Order: sequence, then structure tokens, then C-alpha cells
Amino acid sequence: MITPEASVATFTISSFEAAKDVYRQKDLRQALYDEGEVVMSDVLVNLHGAEHRKRRRVENRIFRRETFDHYERDLFPKVTERTLAPYVVKGGVDLVHLGHELMLNLAALTAGIDRPEGTAEETQRLYDYMQWFIKGATLAHSTEDKQALAARISQALDEWDEEFLQPSISRRKEALAALEAGEITENDLPKDVLMTLLRGNAELDLPAYVLRREIAFFLLAGAHTSATAFVRSIDHILGWLADHPEDAGRVATDPLFVQRCVHETVRLNPSSPVGMRWALAPVSLKSGTEIPEGAKVIIDLQAVNRDPEVFGPDAADFNPYRELPAGVGPFGLSFAAGIHVCIGQDLAAGVVPRTDTDPGTHLFGLVPGAVQYLFNQGVRRDPANPPQRDAHTQRPYWGTYPALLG
Amino acid sequence: MGFEVRVDKDVCISSGKCVADAPAAFRFDDDEIAEPVAGVSALGDDHLVEIARSCPSGAIQVFDQGVEVTLD
Repeated sequence: MITPEASVATFTISSFEAAKDVYRQKDLRQALYDEGEVVMSDVLVNLHGAEHRKRRRVENRIFRRETFDHYERDLFPKVTERTLAPYVVKGGVDLVHLGHELMLNLAALTAGIDRPEGTAEETQRLYDYMQWFIKGATLAHSTEDKQALAARISQALDEWDEEFLQPSISRRKEALAALEAGEITENDLPKDVLMTLLRGNAELDLPAYVLRREIAFFLLAGAHTSATAFVRSIDHILGWLADHPEDAGRVATDPLFVQRCVHETVRLNPSSPVGMRWALAPVSLKSGTEIPEGAKVIIDLQAVNRDPEVFGPDAADFNPYRELPAGVGPFGLSFAAGIHVCIGQDLAAGVVPRTDTDPGTHLFGLVPGAVQYLFNQGVRRDPANPPQRDAHTQRPYWGTYPALLG
Repeated sequence: MGFEVRVDKDVCISSGKCVADAPAAFRFDDDEIAEPVAGVSALGDDHLVEIARSCPSGAIQVFDQGVEVTLD
């Protein structure tokens, strides 16, 4: 359904087909992060046209299957085990904190932010910076004083730049010089976004302030969206197992089933509940709707991803056995579509399996991998401490989710 | 005659999904934009449609005797 709101020239899209059409329109520009420009100005998801293509093509050099294989098989399992170890010993953890800590560890590797000290205090400082950046990116939905918040986020960016980013840049420039001198090989270079941007700088010529926001964006986006999906997936699976105890074995042993559960979770809980676009020119949708230049288009992802025409009469329910029409992703449009489709989709959620998928070579995604790891550690709700929603945002995030392990 | 395929170079974002899924059928050109190669004709029509559907940016278009195949 498409609802034009005449007084404000705003169109709300709530059907799956119309949303897909909107996402693929070249004259609709990103509008979701207008209020969050303290972090999001000039970053990849906010660019349009030739500028966007140029940046994305450079960055996609790292977001390729072979890199994801390296992350998923070589790097991430060790990080997951190391991050979880103290909580397993303790027998419990707040899943919201764990999700962000774990995904920060993984996102730091992907973004290219080093932690040379390797201490818990250093990680905590990076974690605190990331929390400010998350508040920046989601400023539009904040319930706090937005002006004061933006000023504090700007300060955090400055401090993070000095403490973490500049040393990470220096190390990579030294590595590139060593490569040039024949002292190391290509395989010795870090495989991350920062290195990719430094190597592609002749093409992009990014000012320092843009590079800073871009890496901050990859850090926050990689950590935050995966962390929320991680907690929500565990919550949904626990709910599913309460009604379907026969699937407990599958969660422990079948990574394709866990991946399917994560995809279903992401469908029901898009990281942002809405997508937004500005019309740069008049746009004609396939449905016949005419969107005038200057209008705002809001994609209601909660409704789109629960469109009964596509996902069936039980579209609002969690069902990992849901059958989908051809060409429809199991996560709906939570990763968007068109030019701004999430660059980290395969990294976070893996490749959508086919009927002939070989589990031995399949990419499952870091969230399904982490979720299954938790279930193999016996994750369950803490009956004495029920989970609570986050009151600092209009977004439906968990604020705390105490869980028991072992 | 099998389906034909084109890549909209203004839409391709160089994700490399088609190149990874069907390396005998797609490659990157000098500008790192996906392009079909001779091997694409060996892919079955269904496989070609599946690859086009998997393209994250919707840059791959499939044609049946000159008429664009609806992927949705």
C-alpha cells in the first residue's frame, strides 16, 4: 500500500513490491541519516550517484567472498571463543553487552582499527567511543537532547581519531612502505576497510575528516547492527524452542538452520524500522504512483517485511521453516536493495543457501556463527532477571538481556 | 535460443557476487564493473535468472528474445 500525505509531500511505502521498486530508483536519494550527520555526513550510505559508485567500488575490493571466507574460517572463531571465555567461566552474561563487545571485536578487524595494548581497558575505551557513534547514526530516533548529544559525539570522534585511528593509519602506511620495499608480501597486509581506502586514495582523494567518519561508520555499523541481530536472534530462537523443543538438536548441530533463524529474525526486526529517500526528480513507480521532486519517501520496513502477500498470512510470526516465493530474500528488505544494499550483508548474515549448498564451503555469516556458539554454551534466559527494552531510543532495542550459560 | 544477459554499468556496485557464483560466466572489466563473458551462454536459463536475482544492486538484466524477463 502507498499512502501519500499531501500536506508534507511524504509517501509511505508499506508493501514489499513497492519498497523493492523504491530502493532501485536512481533518482531517490538516501534520507535516513539527515539528522545523524555528525557521524554520517559523506559516508558511503549517504552518498549518491557517481560519488557513491566510486567509493563503493573501491570498498567492495575488501567485501568479497574470499575475504569473508578468511574472516569466517580463520579470524572470527578465535575472536568469538576469546570474547566468550570469561563469561562461560562466570556462567552468565548480559547478551546486549556481549553482543556489542563481540561484534566490536569483529568490526574492529573489518574496519581496520588496531588495539595494540590488547587490554580490556583499551577495548572498553573503543567500546565507549562506538556507543557514541551509534547514538550519532541513530540520532533521528533519539529521545535525548539531540543538540547536546551531537556536540558530545563530535568530541568523541576527535578523541577516537587521536587515540585509535591515526595510529592505525600510521601502521598501515608503514606496512605499505614495507611492501613497496619488498620487505613483506601482499599476504602480510591487513585485510580491512582502512587499508583498502588508503590503497585506493589515489582514486578517492578522501579528506581526513571524511576518512575518519567513514571508518567510524564501518565500526559502528558492523558492530551495532550485528549486535542487535545477535540478541534478537537468541531471543527468537529461545521462544521458538519453548514451543518446538524437537528443534533443540538442530540449533546445536545444524548451522544452516541457525542461519535460517537469523534471517527470519532480521526480517522481523530490521536494524532500522524505516528506510527514507528524497526524490531528486519526479519518479514514477511501477504501481502507477507519481512521486514529485522534493518529496520524501518513507519505507515502512516493519510492514514491508510482514507483507502477507509475500510472506504469507503468518508473516508477523517467527517461523524458520517459512517458504518464500522465488526472488525474495529470507530477511525481506532489511538489508535494503539497489545501490545502497548493505555492503556487509554476506559478512553478517552469510550467503543465502540454495538447495544444492555444500555446508563445507558455505558462508554462514558471523551472526549465525556467534548465535550457534552461544547455544552450544547452553544459553538460556535468567528467570530472576527478565530482559528490559532500551528506553533511550524509539527503536525497539533490548536494553539488557541477562542470560545464563553452561 | 537461451536467455541473454546485460549488466547495467551505471547500477553495478562491483559486489562481485555474480563473479563469485559463476566465474566462468562473469568477470570484472578494467573499471571493476561486472560483465558477462562467453561462458555465460553455457549457463541454463534458470541459473542465469537466479544469478540476476542475487545481484544486490539489480544490475543484471535478463532477456528472452529481446524482452526483459521479470525477476520479481
